[in-house]
Amino acid sequence: MSIVIRVEQLKKVYHLGKVKVEALRGISFQVEEGEFVSIMGPSGSGKSTLMHIIGCLDYPSEGKYFLTNHDVTKLDDNQLAIFRNKKIGFVFQQFNLLPRATNLRNVEIPLIYAGMPFRERQRQTLKALQDVGINHRAHHHPNEISGGEKQRVAIARALVNNPSIILADEPTGNLDSKTGLEIMKIFQNLNQKGNTIILVTHEPELAHYAGRIIHLRDGIINREEVLA
Amino acid sequence: MILQGLKIALESLWANKMRSFLSMLGIVIGVGAVIAIVSVGTGSTQQITARIANLGSNMITIYPRALRGQFGRLSSISSQQKFTLELSEHLEEFCPSVKQVIPLKQVNGRLISDDVNINSAIIGTRAEYTEINNYEIAQGVFINQEDDLERRQVIVLGHQLASDLFDNENPLGNLVRLNYDGRIFQFTVIGVMKEKGGSMAGNLDERAYVPLSVVMDRLTAQKYVDSLLAQAYSSDEANRAVQEIEYFMQKHLEDEKREQFRITSQDEILDTVSSVTNTMNMMLGGIAAISLLVGGIGIMNIMLVSVTERTREIGIRKALGAQNKNILFQFLMESLSLSSLGGVAGIGFGWVATYFLAQYGNWPFIISTISVIIAFSFALFIGIFFGLYPAMKAAKMNPVDALRYE
Ligand SMILES: Nc1ncnc2c1ncn2[C@@H]1O[C@H](COP(=O)(O)OP(=O)(O)OP(=O)(O)O)[C@@H](O)[C@H]1O
Ligand SMILES: [Mg+2]
Repeated sequence: MSIVIRVEQLKKVYHLGKVKVEALRGISFQVEEGEFVSIMGPSGSGKSTLMHIIGCLDYPSEGKYFLTNHDVTKLDDNQLAIFRNKKIGFVFQQFNLLPRATNLRNVEIPLIYAGMPFRERQRQTLKALQDVGINHRAHHHPNEISGGEKQRVAIARALVNNPSIILADEPTGNLDSKTGLEIMKIFQNLNQKGNTIILVTHEPELAHYAGRIIHLRDGIINREEVLA
Repeated sequence: MILQGLKIALESLWANKMRSFLSMLGIVIGVGAVIAIVSVGTGSTQQITARIANLGSNMITIYPRALRGQFGRLSSISSQQKFTLELSEHLEEFCPSVKQVIPLKQVNGRLISDDVNINSAIIGTRAEYTEINNYEIAQGVFINQEDDLERRQVIVLGHQLASDLFDNENPLGNLVRLNYDGRIFQFTVIGVMKEKGGSMAGNLDERAYVPLSVVMDRLTAQKYVDSLLAQAYSSDEANRAVQEIEYFMQKHLEDEKREQFRITSQDEILDTVSSVTNTMNMMLGGIAAISLLVGGIGIMNIMLVSVTERTREIGIRKALGAQNKNILFQFLMESLSLSSLGGVAGIGFGWVATYFLAQYGNWPFIISTISVIIAFSFALFIGIFFGLYPAMKAAKMNPVDALRYE
């Protein structure tokens, strides 16, 4: 098994005027290919901050981060964008779909930035929509479908470019528990097909879909729990 | 990437139709105004130059200097006295580019018919006068060579003068009396000129024309004339004709400093007029260009609003792998589309405005191509220039902050 993610002594400090906020205070862990990892922790413990750094959306203040053996901390803005495009699939709590584009167009966006030709793009987009069972809503707009369906579209968008890892930051946070469970089933299913997943959640029963739970508190790893 | 950027830009403009339209308006009006002003300027200038050309064909006028000067009257009289019929013949003979020269001598007198009397300018001239001046006869005939040789007391009336003297009556064959210098002379009306309107020398329609010999020998008994009217063979030769005349006059009058005579040509007047109108056009075009600039600021304003409003979209796109240049391009395409659509609409608007103004002002409908090209390129330039800052602002956004934006 190859290692997809390796972080060492990751720190993130925010400067608010004269006040320093230490969101992450030295985080080290690894994620292997095909793993399903949950991250739990109280509000403000640094979960989102960690996900943003792993998702190449932000730089750490200190520490090392290797994504598929590439040193991410050495990348510039453009290379970071390319990494986000090719290696990362991000699922947000607020769905973050473009309201004016159809679901199909939303899912297509990463492939457009990857420069994929039209036909191949169309095929891959439809396949991703199919994989999460939302292809019948391809030509609707996001505001015409339910929250659970929106999150499916968002997941389709996250996996459309066959990323090395799927990151989900409280993907069920805006959904009722029944729909939340359905979304978790999708992640479980994707994991069984071989996708590597890191998922942030507040709800313990959802966290147990993963093979491992990392507990954060005050910007450090409090405890790790191996389940299966 | 170009097509994709254009598509995204047009989609987002379409989504905000009203706002896009309003922000385009400044460019539409600016481009339209530049085109209309320059085109109208071109059209009306053509009208003016056509009118000047209408005043005569390749006409050159030679005056003695300070003809009616109050100072140095002696010297001016002496120079005027050199303007004789012999000088006129010499000019014709010695200047090869000059087709013909006719002398003019004007007197002011009172014309009387039955119960009407009118103060009027009486021009003593010759048969060729009509040809040189592009002046046509409406009724009857103009003075001919024999009238001049035999000093016949015949008169041709200007359009206005004829109707003032004779109302609706046919003036041809009627007698008019001329009171000049306390003496009365009788003339037979042989012709009436076509309407010509005002000129720099006053209203031509209020004048009358008699044989030159009558003015010189019968009315004034002076051996000199007021001015000489020369005609060049063609407009190409007009400049050469002027030089020849100048040279001849300098030698003939022994006047190296050209103090005793003055030459005006149509070319010279045309040059002056076109330089004045060109300056006007440039100035007005410049003012219109400022409205284009204002339109550009309007676009920048809208683009800044658009960037702020779509911060989240920018964050999402960046999270999905958009590089800074993708975002920059997307917004630049948007402002460029705005300004080029506005430019196209402005061309249409300028076209229509020019058409109606030309109808109204009765000058030829001409669209100045150069103004279209310049105004449109300027609009594009403004789209890029004023779109660049908002687009750069969008491109530089931090993805995490942009995603968090509500
Ligand atoms: N851009 C920022 N500027 C300043 N402080 C920040 C910024 N982002 C996060 N923080 C701070 O860092 C800490 C960790 O925030 P983070 O969003 O990672 O928490 P979280 O675990 O995701 O919380 P939640 O469960 O509420 O989403 C918090 O104290 C937060 O106030
Ligand atoms: Mg969070």
